[in-house]
Amino acid sequence: MNIVVCMKQVPDAPSIRIDRQRMTVIREGVDSIINPLDYVALEAALDLSKREGGNVTVITMGPPQSEEALREALAVGADRSVLLTDPAFAGSDTLATSHVLARAISRLDPFPDLVLCGTQTIDSDTGHVGPQIAEELDLPQVGGVNEIHLEDNSLVVKRLSDGFLDTIKVDLPALLTVTHGLCPVRDIPLGALEIAFSREDVVTWGADDLKLNKEEVGFEGSVSRVWKLRPPPPKRKGELVTGSPQTLLDSLIRKLEALSVLDEEDVRRE
Amino acid sequence: MKKMSGENRDFDGVWVLGDYRNYFQNRVTLQLISKGKALAQKLNTKVSVIVLGEQVHQYAMEYVAHGADVIIVAEHPELREYQVETYTALLARWVEDFKPEVFLAGATSFGRELFPRLAKRLQTGLSADCVALDVDSETGLLVQTTPAFGGELLADVVTPNRQPQMATVHPGVFHERPHDPEAVGRIIYPELDVLPEERVRLLRSRRQQTRSINLEDAQVVVVGGRGLGSKEQFGLLFELAELLEGEVGATRPAILPEWAEEDRLLGQTGKSVKPKLLISIGTSGALQYTTGIQGAETIIAINRDPNAPIFKMADLGLVGDATILLPMLLEALRKRL
Repeated sequence: MNIVVCMKQVPDAPSIRIDRQRMTVIREGVDSIINPLDYVALEAALDLSKREGGNVTVITMGPPQSEEALREALAVGADRSVLLTDPAFAGSDTLATSHVLARAISRLDPFPDLVLCGTQTIDSDTGHVGPQIAEELDLPQVGGVNEIHLEDNSLVVKRLSDGFLDTIKVDLPALLTVTHGLCPVRDIPLGALEIAFSREDVVTWGADDLKLNKEEVGFEGSVSRVWKLRPPPPKRKGELVTGSPQTLLDSLIRKLEALSVLDEEDVRRE
Repeated sequence: MKKMSGENRDFDGVWVLGDYRNYFQNRVTLQLISKGKALAQKLNTKVSVIVLGEQVHQYAMEYVAHGADVIIVAEHPELREYQVETYTALLARWVEDFKPEVFLAGATSFGRELFPRLAKRLQTGLSADCVALDVDSETGLLVQTTPAFGGELLADVVTPNRQPQMATVHPGVFHERPHDPEAVGRIIYPELDVLPEERVRLLRSRRQQTRSINLEDAQVVVVGGRGLGSKEQFGLLFELAELLEGEVGATRPAILPEWAEEDRLLGQTGKSVKPKLLISIGTSGALQYTTGIQGAETIIAINRDPNAPIFKMADLGLVGDATILLPMLLEALRKRL
């Protein structure tokens, strides 16, 4: 079974800083990680390919440094990787992003039996790109999957949806978006990263390689426009904790840790 | 006079997806009818609800009673289950026929799976999990407000050149209108031709089991009050309690609309608890309630109102919107497990 895993490199959530004067995100000094649910998708793909044979291809769209995410995936065991990068892709909304990814997937030979995506990213959290790739490639889709079994040429998957536990059969080829609990995420083996970074097999495709016009992608190809970024309504008083939801969340988490309700171990991959 | 954005003058009407599967827990469709009606007034148009399913007439009547002007109903045994591909095909066809300018759905699991695919087929924009909606008075565009950068900022997003302008909306941010049995609405049954063949087949679906309630012995108790705004939001407390291995309590104003069972009531006429940690969310801190939580070792309170009495007895007070903070907290906790 040949599997494609769509990944996104995202800012490591705790290190996001906002320039409140200019209402922009401060990018300098911000660590990047593979979106956690995309990592779950990668592990699931590696597990399936180990059992069923076939290749795992990882694919990402982003600035050139997104290559790091692909190298990391190669280090964990992915067979091939494709980097979709082009200044023309900048400013893509989910419609344009899914267009680029779908076009790239359709050019893979052979066409994959299965496309896996994380159900959401931790940065924009839209959850749009997976279903929109499925639509463009005319694939059936199932969202929020946390269990996958192969039966003949179909998958039987489980997912929790609005309080219901669904068991679903879906024909291949198909696209699944996956969520926590599907499979454990392992640490990268020592030395594997170094080897992965010395490999030369990250394929890079730009708009021309994908036969995409500038009008179809990036800011020009996007139909959504951000009019304004603004802080959440301010609230200040006494010695209480006020501020952005993230500020509140941070102090809440710190308190929970101090009370030993949570241990301080962070399982996030560094 | 209604303002138009140039080429889009053919599009008219506010549509809401009738998401009825969890009708008694999830009131987001009713909340969207209410908000959709306000938007429709600004656009000088009507709010319609689209209902697909088998024997959904009862929901159509409910939606009328809650303010919908028009209900578009598709009844068919094949529509018994929610199906993304079938829904996408039918909705796309009707959007082309009826040309609504706005199409909203609750950000439920299903809404968030269906709407991206539908928006892609229609080649239009979609905002995810909006916390506010408005009509821009100058352009007539739908202003879709969505949390950005992990909720650090709010983004106002528009879809200037495509129709319909689509958004999924966070449950609990808008308030439903009261049930009006006298309300009158028009019900339309559009022609249903051949349904597409489904490549996704639901083999089994069962509602998740709920656990028995043991508040008095719980080491962690999370309590919700009126400030959570909806049964849907209140429902998140059960997830929080599970992650913290705790139990869910409620104040009277949360029991009255049946967000929680009577068994969960804390305070003078309910139970008293003595957990190591109590998290009080969206509760103002009325005496009737606080008498039941005085035995808690540590109290964390979350409330929008900095003057809420609950902060006077809290060890940590967080002034903010629980409906924004709670999903973030759940996400953060899930990542640690």
